[in-house]
Amino acid sequence: MSTVLETPARAVEPAHPARPWAAVFALARFEARELRMTVSFVGIAALYIAWIVWQSTRSEGDYPVLQDVDRATQSMPLLMGLAVMLGVNRAVLRSHRCDTDRHFDVLVVEPWRRTVAHVLSVVPAVLFTAVCVLVQFTWAALKPGAVGNGSPAELAVGPLTVLLFGVVGVLLARLFRSVFAAPVILVLLLFGMLFVAPSSGSNWTSWLGPVVTESGSSPFPSDLLGRPAGWHVLYLVGLVLLAALVAVLLSGGRTTVVKVAVAGSLALTLVGAVGQSSGTPAGSTPARDRATNAPEKVQSCLKRGGSTYCAFPEWTGRTADWAEVVDRVQNLAGGSAGGERLTVRQRIDATYGLETDTLISPSTTPGQVTVGTDWGGNRVPEFAAAVASVLVAGNEKAGSTVCDARMVTIMWLALGGESDPMTALRNVRLDDSVSGSAIVLSPTESMSMSAEQTRIVVDLLKKPRYSVAGKVKAKWTELTSPKTSTARVAELLGVPAADKSAAKAEADGDSCQE
Amino acid sequence: MTRALLTPVLRTLPWRALAAGGATALLLAGIPRMLSGAPDPWLGLLALRGAALALALGLAFLLDDPARHITSAVPVRRPLRVGLRVALAVPGAALCWTAAVFLVPEEARPPVGALTLEAIATAVFALAAAALIIQRSTVTEPGVAVSTSLLSTAAAAFLLLPDGWALLVTPDDPRWTDTHERWAMLLVVALVVGARGCVEPLRAGLRLRPF
Repeated sequence: MSTVLETPARAVEPAHPARPWAAVFALARFEARELRMTVSFVGIAALYIAWIVWQSTRSEGDYPVLQDVDRATQSMPLLMGLAVMLGVNRAVLRSHRCDTDRHFDVLVVEPWRRTVAHVLSVVPAVLFTAVCVLVQFTWAALKPGAVGNGSPAELAVGPLTVLLFGVVGVLLARLFRSVFAAPVILVLLLFGMLFVAPSSGSNWTSWLGPVVTESGSSPFPSDLLGRPAGWHVLYLVGLVLLAALVAVLLSGGRTTVVKVAVAGSLALTLVGAVGQSSGTPAGSTPARDRATNAPEKVQSCLKRGGSTYCAFPEWTGRTADWAEVVDRVQNLAGGSAGGERLTVRQRIDATYGLETDTLISPSTTPGQVTVGTDWGGNRVPEFAAAVASVLVAGNEKAGSTVCDARMVTIMWLALGGESDPMTALRNVRLDDSVSGSAIVLSPTESMSMSAEQTRIVVDLLKKPRYSVAGKVKAKWTELTSPKTSTARVAELLGVPAADKSAAKAEADGDSCQE
Repeated sequence: MTRALLTPVLRTLPWRALAAGGATALLLAGIPRMLSGAPDPWLGLLALRGAALALALGLAFLLDDPARHITSAVPVRRPLRVGLRVALAVPGAALCWTAAVFLVPEEARPPVGALTLEAIATAVFALAAAALIIQRSTVTEPGVAVSTSLLSTAAAAFLLLPDGWALLVTPDDPRWTDTHERWAMLLVVALVVGARGCVEPLRAGLRLRPF
C-alpha cells in the first residue's frame, strides 16, 4: 500500500519588496555612532568647541574682519579630519581584524554597499564640523565691530576637509588591509605636503593640499584677496567623489555607472586643480596697485566733527571708532592743533599679496593720519600715537622722525585720555615695558622714546588728567618746538628733574643720534 | 625563564608595524637629501621631527599581542613581559634614529641632542599609553588607539599650543632651551606613567574603554 503525496510547489516570494539601501543606512547610522564614541573623536571635538569659545571671546577678536574670519575656520577641521580618518579606517578594518569577513559573505549586503555605508557614516561628523564653522563665523559676524564679507566657498572648506579625510580613510582601508597603514600613510602625506608645498606658499602646489591659509599681512578688502576659493571647493568635491568611488570600485562595485562616475570625478578634480593653479587673477594686480598707491580712488570719505575719515567701502562703519580716538587726542591738544581739520585715511600695502606684512610708508601730506585695516587691542593706542604725532609735528613723516622732547607731548596726548593709560603705554611700546628707552609702534613707521622721556611720560600719566592738560594747553608753543630740551619740558609740566648723570646722558640723546 | 621567553616574544613582535614605522622614518629623513637646492635647516628639522613621529607610531604597536589573554597566565610578571618587548625593540629603534640623523645633510641638521630628547619623549609617550591601556582594559591590541591619539596630540600640539607652552620651535627661537626643559619634563611624566602601567594590577580599579 502506498500513498503518493504530492506537495504543491510553492514559489517563495519575499513578503516585502527588496530594500537593499535600508541596510546601508542602518549600518551607516551604527558606524556613525561607533565613530563618535571613540576617545580621540570626543577629545578633539571637545577641544574644537573650547577653541571656538576661546577664539570668539578673547578681546583681540572684538573687531573681526569677516573675509579673514572665514579662512580662520579652516585649520581646526584638519584635526577633526585626522580623528575621523583614523576612526573610519579602523571601523572598515574591524571585520578583518576580528576575522569576521567570512560571516559577511552570507549576508545580502554586498561589500561595495558596506563601503558606501562607511562613507556615509562620516556625514554626521561633517555636519558637526559645518555647525561649528557656522557658529564660529556667525559669532564673529554678530559682534558690533565686525566688518567685511565672508565667502561661502571659504566656509565650505572646513567640512569638506573632514569629509575628504574620512573618505580617504575608507579608501586606505580598502587598499591596505592593515591597521597601521593609515597612520603611517597619514604621516607621510602630512609631511610630504609640508615638504613639497608649505601651506603658506602661494605657488600652485600648495593649493593641492586641502587647506591653504594665507596669512601674514593685515586684512585686505575682499575684492583684493584673489584667492581661488570657488575652484578649490570644486577640487575638494572632486577629490571626495574620486576617493569614495574608487573605494566602491575596489570593493567590488565594478559597474559601468561607477566607472563612468570615477572618470567624471577625476575630470572634476582636474578642472578644479587647473582652475585654482592660475595664480593671482588678472584683475587683482591692478586693483591691488590702485588700493596701495591711490586709495582715494576707491575710498569713500565721511565728515565727523571737524575731521574727514576716508575708508575702503567695507570699513566705513568703523569711522566712528576712529573719530572717538581723534576727538580724545585733539581735546588734550592746545594751540591751533586743538581745532585742526585732520584727514584720517585708511591705507594698506597690497602689492606683495596676502603673505607679506609690509610697512606702510608715512604720509607727507599735512594733517593726514594713516590707519590700518586692523582695529582693537594695541591698534588703538598706536593710532592715537600717530594722531598725536601729526598734531605736534604737522605730518606723519615729520612725526615719525621726532626724537627730541616733543615725544613727551606726543605720548601724553596719545595716552592721556585713555581710561587705563599705563596698560596702553605698555601695549604701544615694542618691548612691553614702562621704563627705559623703547620703540613706539604706530600704523606706519615706528617712533622712539628715550629713558628720560619715558620717565616723564609715566610721571605725567600718573597725575590727574586735568592738572596736566591745563599746563600742556598753556605751554603748547614751547612744548611743540623742536628746540626745547627734555629738562625744560619736565620743568614746564611740573615733573621733578632727573639726577645729574641721567640728565647728561639725555642731553646727548636729544640730538637725535642713534 | 627569560631565556625561554625570548624566542616566543621575538616571534610575536609586530614586525610589520615596526618595520613600516622605521621605513617611514628613514624615508622622511631622506627627503631633504632628495630635494635639489641648498640644504634648508627648516626642512632638516621637519624631516627629523617627522622621523621621530613615524618611529613612535611604529613603537605604538609594540605591545600588540593578539594572544595576550592566553599568555597572561605564564608565571612571568608583567614588568618582565613588557620589558622584554621593549628591550628587543630598542636597539632597532636606536639604530633607525641614528641612521635618520645621519641621513639629514650636516648643514641642515638641527641640534641632535635636543631632537633625540624629543624623539625619546614621543616614543616613551606612545609606549606608556599602550602599557596603560593594556593594564586598564581587556584590549589585546592597543596600537591603533595609541597611534590615533599620538597623531591627534601631535597635530593639536602643532596647531594649538599657545606661545608660552610651545613644544615645537626652531633652533633659532629664544624659547629653544625652555621648550626642551618642557620636553624633558614630558619624558619624566611619560616614564612615570609607563612604569605605573607595567605594574600588575592587584584589584580591578578604574577600567578604560579605549575604543
